[in-house]
Formats: sequence, structure tokens, C-alpha cells
Amino acid sequence: MNPPAKVSVWLKLFWMFLKVNLLTTSGPASVGLLYKESVGTIMSEAQFIEAVGLSNVLPGSEALKLAMFVGFAAGGFPGVLTALVGAVLPPTIIMLTVVSVLERYQSETWMENFIKGMSPAVGVLIALVAWQIFRSDASKSIGRRALAIGAVAFVALWFDLPSPLVLFGAGILGVFLFR
Amino acid sequence: MDKLLLLFWTFLKVNLLSTSGPASVGLLYKEAVGHFLTEQQFIQAVGFSTLLPGSDALQLAMFIGYTIAGIPGGTVALFGAILPPTVLMFGVVSVLHRLRRESWVGSFVEGLTPAVAVLMLFVAWKVFKGGNGGLGWQSLIIGGASLAALIFELPAPLVILVAGLTGVLLFR
Repeated sequence: MNPPAKVSVWLKLFWMFLKVNLLTTSGPASVGLLYKESVGTIMSEAQFIEAVGLSNVLPGSEALKLAMFVGFAAGGFPGVLTALVGAVLPPTIIMLTVVSVLERYQSETWMENFIKGMSPAVGVLIALVAWQIFRSDASKSIGRRALAIGAVAFVALWFDLPSPLVLFGAGILGVFLFR
Repeated sequence: MDKLLLLFWTFLKVNLLSTSGPASVGLLYKEAVGHFLTEQQFIQAVGFSTLLPGSDALQLAMFIGYTIAGIPGGTVALFGAILPPTVLMFGVVSVLHRLRRESWVGSFVEGLTPAVAVLMLFVAWKVFKGGNGGLGWQSLIIGGASLAALIFELPAPLVILVAGLTGVLLFR
């Protein structure tokens, strides 16, 4: 797989990821738009499916992994870099602006109440994402093992074991269980 | 200097042990809240990164890094968040053709997944209760309405925004 490395391809990649990351609010949410933008123009459907599959399986930000896979498929390693920069730029600049503006209103009562109002919604959102993550795993006909790992993790977290340790242990358990 | 190293290490760790921004929230809470971040700051970070366009993982890094140590903090946290997937991707992409998808990395993440989900439930409960301990009727109303809205698949950024605005009206 040695796609022709052209400047126009890199520019296209950069612009595409800039656009996708400006118009969607998280990695998993960007898959739909990315599909429309890239399949048929710079990569095949099979390549796209492989990119999404692999980015689900590797650790780290999903948006970045998608950018790198699509970038590689379309423009080799320079493609990876341009796609990466395109994906990193929008959240960085937007967040920097927002955070420096927010600083001024941090002590206002309405900001405190805004956060208080967000708390239950954020809590519910986290719980629902947790459920989705668990279910998507269980549907791959490995429900029993996933449940076992979940139960062990629950007990470990209940007794306040350090969470990186619990997650790492669960991963190691996975290596042995999911062979 | 210490703060910067701590930020870098925290985001490196969090991004090595989770597979997407939303999934990293659980671990991030455990690693940051109470150590160098208040619960309020955390909720604000998660809320706004859901609300604003772009990768959640990067926005969380940026927001928390900046809150703790200004622009250097934001840069360092961002770098910690970008490094693990980049290095892994370059590694995986270059050996992809020989390596099967059923590599140990895949099983590792598969094992990680249920534990991540359980951790997120713990954190969800803590966040739901809010920093001030009390579960007021306002929180229950907002939580219930958000649950219903999300189950009916309304977009999460919208739900978070409306919840915040409702908070401004209800809590005073």
C-alpha cells in the first residue's frame, strides 16, 4: 500500500479533518460525517471500516486515531501528520478561547448554578456512555467473560483500589481470557 | 514544574488506559479530582468538552491543563493526550500487514472495556450527587429530564447546555 504522496492530497486531508472536528463534538460522533467526507473520495469503504474497527481497539483519543488511519490510507505518513494537525487544531483553539473567557466569570453566581445544573446531566451522560461501552462489548458473544471482568472491577473499585491498577489488571485479564 | 509533570503523566496514563474521550472520564475523575482539581472544575471540563466541537479527549486535556497551570499546562496536558495514540498508531500502522487484529492489544482493550464501564458508573454517581453532597429536588428533576432526553437520542451537547441553563434558573 503505497499511495501517491501529493501535496493536494495532504491539503485535502487537513481541510477534511479541520471541518469534521469543527462540526462534531467528539470522536465517536464524528464517524458519520467522516464517512461521508472520505469514502469514495480518498479511501474505499473497506479501508474506512478497518480504520473505525482498529481505532475502537487501540487506546487513546478516538478522533486522533481516526485521523491518523484515514491520513495513512490516503497519503502515507505525511498524510498522517496533516490529518493529525487538522484534528488537533479546532479543539485546542476553541477550548483555549473558552477557558480564558470563562476565567473571568468563574466566581459569578450564575456560572456556579450553570455547573450545578450541568452536574446531574453530566452524571447521567457518563452512566449512559458506560452502559453503551459495556453493551457493545457484550454483544460480541463474550458476555460472560466481560461480566466476570466487570464484577471483579466493581469489587476492586468498591474497596478503593487505585483505578489505573484496576484497569490495567482488567486489560491483563483480557489478554488471557480473550485469546 | 512539578504541576506540569503531573499533568503530563496524568493525561499520558488516562489516554493509555481508555479508548475514547467519553470513556476516559471515569479514570480522569479518579486521577484528578481531589488531587489537583476540584469536583466543580471537573464537571465544568466534562460539560464544556461535550458542548464544544472537536475531540473530547483533547478538550478535557486542554481545559484541565489550562485551569491548573495556564497555557504551559494546557500544552503539556495536550501533548500527554496526543502521544499514546500517535505512537501506537505509527507502530500499528507500520506492522499492520503482518499483525492480525487479534493481537494482544485487542484482547487487552477488550478486557479493559467492562472495567472502564464499571469505573464510569462509580464516577457518574459521584458527579450526579454533585460536589456539595446534597441531592436537591432541582438535581433530581434535571437528572431525570436529561435521562429521558438522552434515551430518546437527543444530542448530548444540547442536553448538557439545557441542563446548565435550567440550573441557572432553578438554583437561586
